[in-house]
Amino acid sequence: MALSEAPIGQPARYGEVFDRGYKHYDGPQLGRGAAAWALVRYSAKRALGIKKSWTAKIIPILLYVAAAFPVILVVGITAFAPNAEVWDYADFFIFTFVIEGLFVATIAPEMVCGDRRENVLPLYFSRAITRLDYLLAKLVATALLTLTISFIPAFLLWLFLQLLADAPLSAMGDNLDDLARVAVAGGLIALYLGAIGLMISSFTGRKSVAVAVIVVAFLITQALGVALFEAVDRGSAYHDYLVFLSAGQTTIGLVGALWPDSDIDLSELALWTYVAVMLVVVAICCLVMLWRYVPDE
Amino acid sequence: MIAVDERTIAAPMSVVPEVAPPPVVEARGLEKRYGRHLALDRLDLTIPRASVGLLGANGAGKTTLLRLLLGLAKPSAGQASVLGFDTRHQGIKIRERVGYMPESDCLPPGTTAADFVGHMAEMSGLPSRAARQRAADVLYQVGLDEERYRLIKGFSTGMKQRVKLAQAIVHDPDLVFLDEPTNGMDPQGREDMLDLIARIHRNLGIAVVVSSHILEDIERVCQHVVILSGGRLVVSQPIGDLGDDGGNLLVRLDGDPGPFVARLTAAGLHVRPSEDDDVWGELVIRRDGDHVYDAIRDAAADLDLPLRSLRSRSRSLEDVYLGNVGVENGTGGASDGAV
Repeated sequence: MALSEAPIGQPARYGEVFDRGYKHYDGPQLGRGAAAWALVRYSAKRALGIKKSWTAKIIPILLYVAAAFPVILVVGITAFAPNAEVWDYADFFIFTFVIEGLFVATIAPEMVCGDRRENVLPLYFSRAITRLDYLLAKLVATALLTLTISFIPAFLLWLFLQLLADAPLSAMGDNLDDLARVAVAGGLIALYLGAIGLMISSFTGRKSVAVAVIVVAFLITQALGVALFEAVDRGSAYHDYLVFLSAGQTTIGLVGALWPDSDIDLSELALWTYVAVMLVVVAICCLVMLWRYVPDE
Repeated sequence: MIAVDERTIAAPMSVVPEVAPPPVVEARGLEKRYGRHLALDRLDLTIPRASVGLLGANGAGKTTLLRLLLGLAKPSAGQASVLGFDTRHQGIKIRERVGYMPESDCLPPGTTAADFVGHMAEMSGLPSRAARQRAADVLYQVGLDEERYRLIKGFSTGMKQRVKLAQAIVHDPDLVFLDEPTNGMDPQGREDMLDLIARIHRNLGIAVVVSSHILEDIERVCQHVVILSGGRLVVSQPIGDLGDDGGNLLVRLDGDPGPFVARLTAAGLHVRPSEDDDVWGELVIRRDGDHVYDAIRDAAADLDLPLRSLRSRSRSLEDVYLGNVGVENGTGGASDGAV
């Protein structure tokens, strides 16, 4: 069939076939930052199962429902029985830690294992990004997604509790410090757990193996950390630092330091100690990942 | 009123001599070591803006050269530039303007071709909307218009190769590196892929470097050939120039060539039988000057031997390859077209 050039300014006949030709791209090229951000968005979508089969979406959806459940429960109870003793923010974060751990175990392998297993890395590294950009994009994507489960439910809890007050606007103003604590806890936990999950996932191309190793690592370090914490004399100088042996104990300790009036009595360490240790762990995870992705020179 | 592009009418009337476009790749003393292994050995190379074949056996240094040119590895010594950018310090700039099609299977099976190619366009810095548009355009160009919303896992090897090609050109690069583009393809798929590659340079104006170990593919689609052996450059020249083997003539006679050979040898010419087993009795005569033609004519006439053919001998890429790499590797045997 002969093809014709597409006419300019003339209506096309129905069914006419045009040679679309090849047009050179003369639009903007946004550079390295835009490329890295595109990787963040794409990775986040893939990890949530967007544009994938329903089986890929089911676990993230269930975890979001599980994270929303205590918010609904606490807000519901507070609405009908304002004087009832319900969970405070510290209890809420301790409960949702399990959900956050499972969420990271689900999404972190999706972030990096597929790229390694399906051999997509050479394509990424032949584009306008560096290996460090790739890792940072994956870390940002993981942390942002984890933030949706570590921060947003807690933020909604804070918001609904203020709206249930007699004077919502003034209640919001009075409780801004709680909101700041929620933001710090949500952000740090997302970054900390996300980095650990990604680091473990970077060692294998098999998602199922990565999921299992992350879950087992959280469980074993938690058991070991609690056992040592209980076994060692509470008066010893290094006793309090044993909380850093497990992600769970570290998170509980952080929440206890953020809400000193809560029932948590894990250690006497200051808030900045938790923040510093968690950021150091994030940095170590990044270095390990960088080593994993350095080319064999 | 008809608008006339001044460049269109100026070109034929211009007396300014045609200036060759700048080369896309230049390397000087390029060296790459992996521990004790020398992968590239002081490579001096200029690749013109054309369709260029990069030939060499496995381990010849082709992939190492591509990695260095993409700025993905640092050279141990020497320097190279791609499109005028230094590979050591301007890798990002290079990769913004260069496309790369790896040899290996590198496509995520659970993604549609349109999604993946669009994502790769965004990874080259294109805005989201432009990336989707470009993905649709290039998938049309490589013949996957209808299949672009199908998952890649349902694609044949040929279709996957087309997706790989599409992602390499989706950001409209000035230069594209294709690593073994016909790998694993059936004959028809290979033909189609070679046609596509030829079109990329001819119609789309993109310089192409095809790394391959299949001589026929290079001979068919490339204008220039670079041959590596053991990490060293052994040939870099236009394919058209390969045909002249330095001035040998091929002569076929009816009857016994013995007296004819004796007569020419006595006249001081260099004569030997052809190595081509398919043409019995063919002689190779070195062309030392125009007097050789007269000597052949006179000898044939005096001996009353019918002269069946007299032609210049042209060399194939395989001859050139075996003449250089075969000697380098200590082999000179027949080849089946793949090295």
